[in-house]
Amino acid sequence: MQDAHVAALPAGWGGGVSPFGATWQKTMMWIFIVTDGLLFSGLLSGYGFLRMSALTPWPERSTVFSIPFIALMTFILITSSATMGTAVGASRLGDRKTALRFLILTIVGGASFLGCQAYEWTHLIEHGARLRSNPWGAPQFCQAFFILTGFHGSHVLSGLVVLTITAIRTAMGRTPAQGVEMAGLYWHFVDLVWVFIFTLFYLV
Amino acid sequence: MSDGATAHGSTYKIYWVTWGILLVITVAMLAAEKFHLPRVFLVLFLVVFMLVKATMITGNFMHLRYEQRNLAFIVALRLLVTSAILFSFLTPESISVRARRSEAAPPPTETAHHP
Repeated sequence: MQDAHVAALPAGWGGGVSPFGATWQKTMMWIFIVTDGLLFSGLLSGYGFLRMSALTPWPERSTVFSIPFIALMTFILITSSATMGTAVGASRLGDRKTALRFLILTIVGGASFLGCQAYEWTHLIEHGARLRSNPWGAPQFCQAFFILTGFHGSHVLSGLVVLTITAIRTAMGRTPAQGVEMAGLYWHFVDLVWVFIFTLFYLV
Repeated sequence: MSDGATAHGSTYKIYWVTWGILLVITVAMLAAEKFHLPRVFLVLFLVVFMLVKATMITGNFMHLRYEQRNLAFIVALRLLVTSAILFSFLTPESISVRARRSEAAPPPTETAHHP
């Protein structure tokens, strides 16, 4: 009776077997990604609320932003995701040189994206955009813009830090393939979030 | 040796094929903006392709396709269900907030009559 009880408890697992057939590092990374995804789910829902409850008309995006410029930023981020994937693949195959080369390309892509975002912020602030006021219409528009792109940009920045550390350690031969894969998972997540922001904020 | 080279090629291929498809979808989404589609169709088109892109990124770039099925289910279900709950609760609320705001704000014609 006592034994049956113990077996039903989660502790009866013993902790040695992964329920997802993945290493604990990967499982933890996915738990982190899901919680971080929920943060953006909340932020995007908040943006939807602000937009639908605004009395003043929502500005036309093409009058505020240069859509080709946003398209270029999207292109850079998607490309950096592909180079990251290649780096993960190379490190899995034990090809350290290729992995390092593609990690550096990913860092260049991420830094370019961040540069574009800094340019966009500067441009908007120069035109009078503030957290609580907007020269193009509904003040909630700028609030949503700064919060969404700010949170995403901070993720890109932390991703760059992680990638730089991974690249240095790969160059020294101290990062196992799994380390590159974990950095890759985070970087692809940053790209994933941008897909949602790009569609829901810039296009819809 | 040639086996190794083939393995390398096929390992990288998936990422660049995905990259190509993602680019084509992005261009299609940008083009859809230019056509004067009815708003409902445009939003539907954009949201569907946004989800297709998200599936491609999680599946091919993040390797969720190759993980155990339960991991993919838990990740997708958690995010989709929470987003659906947030959206379905916030939408009616935002509409009612908007209605209350427009009641509170006097119409422009009325204010013009005041001295």
